[in-house]
Amino acid sequence: MTLENQELDDFEKRTRALLEESVTRIDGRIRSRLNQARHAALAELERPRKPFWRSFALAPAAGVLAVVVLAVVLWVPRPGQLLPVTEVASNAVEDLDLMADGETFDLIQQGDGGFYEWAVAQADAGQEATS
Amino acid sequence: MSAFATLASVYNTPVAMHGDVDITDSNTTTGSRALNQFLASVELKAFKIAQSALRHEHDALDAVQDAMLQLTRAYADRPAEEWRPLFYRILENRIRDMQRRRTVRARIMAWLPTHRDEEDEEAFDPITQAPSEELTPPRRLEIDEAMTALEKALHDLPNRQRQAFLLRNLEGMDVAQVASAMGCSEGSVKTHHFRALKALRARLGEFST
Repeated sequence: MTLENQELDDFEKRTRALLEESVTRIDGRIRSRLNQARHAALAELERPRKPFWRSFALAPAAGVLAVVVLAVVLWVPRPGQLLPVTEVASNAVEDLDLMADGETFDLIQQGDGGFYEWAVAQADAGQEATS
Repeated sequence: MSAFATLASVYNTPVAMHGDVDITDSNTTTGSRALNQFLASVELKAFKIAQSALRHEHDALDAVQDAMLQLTRAYADRPAEEWRPLFYRILENRIRDMQRRRTVRARIMAWLPTHRDEEDEEAFDPITQAPSEELTPPRRLEIDEAMTALEKALHDLPNRQRQAFLLRNLEGMDVAQVASAMGCSEGSVKTHHFRALKALRARLGEFST
């Protein structure tokens, strides 16, 4: 053993003695707190623990259920559901075209309502024939 | 509260001696008794290690308590020989978490005008703080000064060096156990320990106790 190692060993002995002294000086309040902490930790052993496998037992069923719910929400149309935005937009464009159409306006002004009455009657007759 | 009442409360406090535990409960199993003995054997040194790293009594107590809980919850079924390195590994992780959190908190608090830590405002109780041993005042002063210097020097060491030094010199673990606790090779433990010793020697010189 070299001199340096011997000195290191002496130094270690002194530091070790000092550290052990510092442990013996830990006051009663801290010791009491540590004792309580130990009891609290040991109380965990008394608690019934849930088996590891049980936490995963319902995982497949829950996954399938989640997929089904998602599918229902996404694909099944709900009553009173609003039309898609693109469809609404195209209808609005058609309405604008009709209103801007000068011929249609002239027909209404000329009081030629007979054509429309005939068209409605034809439509009703067609529906009765199919039903 | 009167002085007498203060004294009475101190004397009535159920002060636990090292290893003191109620094992009269019939439900206490052999396993829990062994775990209790183990925890009682490490708790004081674990507290000193945590306090050396954190320099804060409450944080050190919290760290030790968390390590105890974690060991009991997760590793109580493991062989008793594995408990010591596992416990100190958990403790070190907890200490590191607290140090990180403290760094973040310090950054946040630096932006606030004034902050006073409530825990620092606790009244100092000379009775509970007083060491129990009878020493002559000069000798006590000498030891106190050496201890303070050592604790300061230990705190200023890098984490890994401090951990290696304390596990070897305070807990008395061998190199293999320290390596297991630190999650590194035995060669790394020797390096950390050597560097810690070198730094402490340079800092403290040949102090005597």
